[in-house]
Amino acid sequence: MLRFSTIRRGILRKSSSALLLRAGLAFIAFIAVPLRGQDVRPTEYQVKAAYVYNFGKFVTWPSNATPETQSFDICILGKDPFGPVIDATVAGDSIDGKRIIVRRIAKVQEVDPCSVLFISQSEERRLAPVLADAKHLNLLTVSDIKDFAERGGMIGLVTQGDRIRFVVNRKAADEAHLQLSSELLKVATRVIGAKAAE
Amino acid sequence: MTERHTGTIAKRLTAMNLLVTAIALLLACASFFAYDQLTFRQSLVRTLSAQAQIIASNCLSSILFNDPQSAAQTLSALKSSQNISSAGIFTLDRKPFAQYSKEPGNDILNVPQLPSNRVEAYWFRSSHLVLVREIMSQGKPAGYVYIRAELHEIDERLQRYALIAIAVLIITLFIATLIATRFSKSVALPIVQLAQTANEVSRKRDYSVRVPPSGKRDEVSVLIDSFNEMLREIQRRDNALRQAHDELEQRVSDRTRELVSANRELEAFSYSVSHDLRGPLDSLNGFVYVLLKQYGAKLDDQAKELVEQIRSSGKRMTRLIGDLLNLSRVTTTVLHAEKVDLSALARSVMEELCRMEPDRQVEFIVPEKQEAYGDAHLLRIVLENLLRNSWKYTSKHTHARIEFGQERKRGRMAYFVRDDGSGFDERSADRLFQPFQRLHSSEQFPGSGIGLATVRRIIQRHGGDIWAEGAVERGATFYFTLGFSHGTE
Repeated sequence: MLRFSTIRRGILRKSSSALLLRAGLAFIAFIAVPLRGQDVRPTEYQVKAAYVYNFGKFVTWPSNATPETQSFDICILGKDPFGPVIDATVAGDSIDGKRIIVRRIAKVQEVDPCSVLFISQSEERRLAPVLADAKHLNLLTVSDIKDFAERGGMIGLVTQGDRIRFVVNRKAADEAHLQLSSELLKVATRVIGAKAAE
Repeated sequence: MTERHTGTIAKRLTAMNLLVTAIALLLACASFFAYDQLTFRQSLVRTLSAQAQIIASNCLSSILFNDPQSAAQTLSALKSSQNISSAGIFTLDRKPFAQYSKEPGNDILNVPQLPSNRVEAYWFRSSHLVLVREIMSQGKPAGYVYIRAELHEIDERLQRYALIAIAVLIITLFIATLIATRFSKSVALPIVQLAQTANEVSRKRDYSVRVPPSGKRDEVSVLIDSFNEMLREIQRRDNALRQAHDELEQRVSDRTRELVSANRELEAFSYSVSHDLRGPLDSLNGFVYVLLKQYGAKLDDQAKELVEQIRSSGKRMTRLIGDLLNLSRVTTTVLHAEKVDLSALARSVMEELCRMEPDRQVEFIVPEKQEAYGDAHLLRIVLENLLRNSWKYTSKHTHARIEFGQERKRGRMAYFVRDDGSGFDERSADRLFQPFQRLHSSEQFPGSGIGLATVRRIIQRHGGDIWAEGAVERGATFYFTLGFSHGTE
């Protein structure tokens, strides 16, 4: 009888400690989940970096644009607002089998063989000549300059509430012989300049 | 009885056919349904997979550019699919991005984990099918498509199949019953006829009937032929046997008739001889009597002695002839069976004997009443002979004891007459009842040797049995039974 009761007490103690442990873990998880959520929430330029990179997936370049290159180059013109964030975003990724490289350039003339040209807000004053230069280079022009698409750019990033969205200037893309996929147009906030043929 | 048998064979054949048909049909239906289930599930998975692929490619931009509305719009195209009850787009970190559900409120909260290295996987649950597919962007996962399809249709298909199966089963069984009934009748009918005939033959012992041939060459017809052949053989032997039996009967009756007539002639002869012998004997006795009466005084003593001898011989001969006549009368007289008190008969016989020899000391034991069924006159002769014998063979003893009664002997009730007289040698017991056979000389005990023969004949005529037990100087017991002694046993 004595032995039996001892064992029984041992079991009780063990199970109560297990219960305590489980409660503690649940508490940690309860605190940790919202913390992690806050941490994960990306910054404005992290989102924009991902957008710039992802646009490349929905655009078809003319076959003669950059035939000999082995990489898919994204050029940032002007003062780089991303920092290392964009390099981290594209690291190890590729589009159509071409490795993505991010290059910072100061002048449009350095753009070759870029596919995507991100124009920094620092270039807002020189925007018109830059776009004019870019027009003949089959470049997908992206920028978060205000009213970029209305001013002749192809994809203008805009902020709506806490979301980053974009406006597409289809006419500009047509003039550069770039085909924008309907999937891209579908998610655009606005599409300016309907295609003449359609 | 045969009707019941007919039923069972035909019914059993029909039931067997129906059972086989039903089992075959059910198995066919079941396997067909199982196959249909398999193909249906496979095609359902293929359809869902195709839809998931379309949704995945259409929702890629929505995920990449964080536009849940357009994803929801894409998903809402699933409305046209009847099966799909809900669907969802999830981001790479498994957070719901866009939802669709046929009926509101069926939001999907989490996505099952895909097995490693798999782009797509599906899970069959009891009521639904879940399919999850990775949304790929340039070879890298960007999110997940989740589609849930309800399996109502499988149940509906099952019901439809069950209905069709039941309908087909009923129709098939109906047709099978028709065919099987006719078929089994044609199989069973010859067997039934065979059974009926066999039954009739064994009941009526009529071997002239035949089973009608079935008209087909099969085992049953062989059986019928053999059975008929067997009947023919039995009939032939039966006839031969009956003929032999009749002949034998005829011969026996002829012989019996001959024997009876011979016996009757013999008896008539012996009767007439006895009867005719009495005439000259009577005149002989008469003349001897006259001789003694009229000339007795003139005869000397020696002549008188001789004449006396002639007289006693004549008397003996008269008694002998009387006994012979009795014997032949016993065999010829008609029996008048009635209830007879044997005790009373025995008593009257004993009284008569006592009167004749009043000096003798004889103890007579007899039951109060001993009833038997038989001819009173003949039974009196039986008791007279037996008791007279006992009286005679105890005459050498100063004190004698004679008993009449009934006791169980040889397994049946037998009457007996017992004395403690000179008895007889048991070895010659069977000679006792032969006529003219005597165990004692006439000098010892006078007698004709016909009494017991007469007794036996009377007992035989009563359908009974007689036998004797005894030993020299130890007395004798005569047992007899009566064949039709009602109420005495």
